[in-house]
Amino acid sequence: MEQQFSLTSEIRGNCLVITTSGYVNNVGGEAIAKEFNAHFPGKTKFVVINLRDSRVVNSIGMSFLIDIIEQLEEAGGKLVFTDLDPAVEKMLTIMGLFKFAGKEQGVEQALATLAQLR
Amino acid sequence: MSSQTPIESLPPRLVSQIVSLPDGFRTLSKASTLQEMGTRFLTLAGEALRGATMSILHLPVSANGWVALAGNGTHPGADLLRVPSQDTTTLCTLDQDRKTIVAVQRLVDGSHVGVVTSAASGSETFSPVDTGSLQLSLHLFDAAFQAMRTRLNEKDLVFSLNHRILQLNSLIDTGIEVARLDQAGSLQQLALERAVSLTNASRGMVEIFAGDSLRERLVFPPGDNRATAPGQGLQIASSFTFGEQSYQFSLFEKESRRGILPFEGTDQLLLDALARQVHASLENRYLLQQRLEKQRMEQDLAVAASIQQRILPEKLPVISGYDIAGINIPSKSVGGDYYDCIPLPDGRYALVIADVAGKGIPAALLVSSLHAYLSAFLANQVPLVELVRRLNRAMAQASTDDKFITAFFGILSPATGEMESVNAGHTPSYLLRNDHSIHELNAGGIPLGMLDLDLPIESEQVTIRPGERLLLYTDGVTEATNEESVLFDTAVPLRDFVARQKPHTATIFIDELVAGIKSFTGQAPQNDDITALYLLRS
Repeated sequence: MEQQFSLTSEIRGNCLVITTSGYVNNVGGEAIAKEFNAHFPGKTKFVVINLRDSRVVNSIGMSFLIDIIEQLEEAGGKLVFTDLDPAVEKMLTIMGLFKFAGKEQGVEQALATLAQLR
Repeated sequence: MSSQTPIESLPPRLVSQIVSLPDGFRTLSKASTLQEMGTRFLTLAGEALRGATMSILHLPVSANGWVALAGNGTHPGADLLRVPSQDTTTLCTLDQDRKTIVAVQRLVDGSHVGVVTSAASGSETFSPVDTGSLQLSLHLFDAAFQAMRTRLNEKDLVFSLNHRILQLNSLIDTGIEVARLDQAGSLQQLALERAVSLTNASRGMVEIFAGDSLRERLVFPPGDNRATAPGQGLQIASSFTFGEQSYQFSLFEKESRRGILPFEGTDQLLLDALARQVHASLENRYLLQQRLEKQRMEQDLAVAASIQQRILPEKLPVISGYDIAGINIPSKSVGGDYYDCIPLPDGRYALVIADVAGKGIPAALLVSSLHAYLSAFLANQVPLVELVRRLNRAMAQASTDDKFITAFFGILSPATGEMESVNAGHTPSYLLRNDHSIHELNAGGIPLGMLDLDLPIESEQVTIRPGERLLLYTDGVTEATNEESVLFDTAVPLRDFVARQKPHTATIFIDELVAGIKSFTGQAPQNDDITALYLLRS
């Protein structure tokens, strides 16, 4: 069930893993960006965003995700999305996010992918 | 003659700055915001001015005051800045003690950026080369600002085009998905989520009304039940009516990164399109259910017809000295008519005809029960009146209140022609005498199963003499209607029809009866089963 937006984060190795729950809109996007900016630049340039409990994303939320991708791209880092609902995956694909960001089935696969880049 | 200064004649520091202009341009123009560009500018210009303390401010178009973008120290600020005249893009001044440089640059969008620079320490002073260096940096800022705007505009354009593609794609996908969903509530929830997402609404709801009363409300995000928006244009709605219910989709507060905006015309078009998809899906679901219901009814009728056909006699017994024939023509909607001639262990025969009130499987099952009970009671040689009493009780217990059976039973002793009969609320059976009179066999009681009471049941005794005939029939014969809705019995009274016929065999009589009915009804549909049993004593 989609609830009001919330997120949790943890550092795994040198990767920031953000797990969201709820509608990724302006509020959700801002919260993700704020969490990201608390760790970047400086602590990490590898980020995993787990959208398992976020089945609805709007374009304002996506614009925050694009900002994060751009910042990481400039710093030689990488963002990987995981646990994507098919509709969300299609939205992110159409909006071109996977030209610069990755996608994996789950967090562990994403961490393995990022480990190869480090 | 050129007025340009050869680069070799410039101070080495300016030459170095000019050489590094492309790198500086790249650094500045990569910024995503004016503030970020200001911060990057301080790093570049600070290096050129040997670590001077510096503030950079911005004066937006139509704004009253300067807004600080970035700074690396404390010193006099905005009050020193003067906007250059219209024919000048840059104003750069060095104060008298050479401790402060103030520079203002008009940017491509008509706004201004200002820099206040103070020498790094008490003994340091600025030179005209420093002024030139800062001026050069501000020109670079203007060029980078223009590039950043172009890049961000392109990015916005690409984002906007992609979003339009996304909206169209989602509209198609949603149409397919809502058509597949089994649960009506799920398809409305899905359409709501898509509408909220594709229009960048903060929230939305679907309300289902029956008349004026609210039957159901679905919301997204869950738990947000606010039904209004705090301003004009901040809410759009689309509604439709299906059956007895009306459905209203509402969206609230379009989001942007700069705050809440009024909805656009395309948002209304999208919401209308999604609501139409739900409407179409509900209609399709309804039509599908109707088709399935029709199929189920047709299957029921086929089962009922099968049950009925199984209990009707394939052929009637041969009774010495008698000729007997019967017919059952089921109507399209299967009824519950039944007839039979059953040989009894003692050489007598039971003649029976029955008609269940109602049609379909319930009627067919009740006839099936009647057939089973009747066979059991006859096998046990239960006397006729007692047999009818028991049948009444059994049918009352086996049927619902609105189901009952009218029936006629006759027990014929073929050798003597004597027959005992009971008429349980059925149409009168006709005994056609040799003197052309017709005796109606009416003695009996109420229809079987109508009341579970031991009401009196009468029987009567008649003798069928050689040459006399007996006709049992159901109301499908007398109530057959033609295209003008006239009853067969009204136009051609059955008594008269029977009296006129002088058939040589029972089969010929049945054929003529059926032909007479068909001739009368013409193309009118058959509304009820046509059933008859005819007995002729030789």
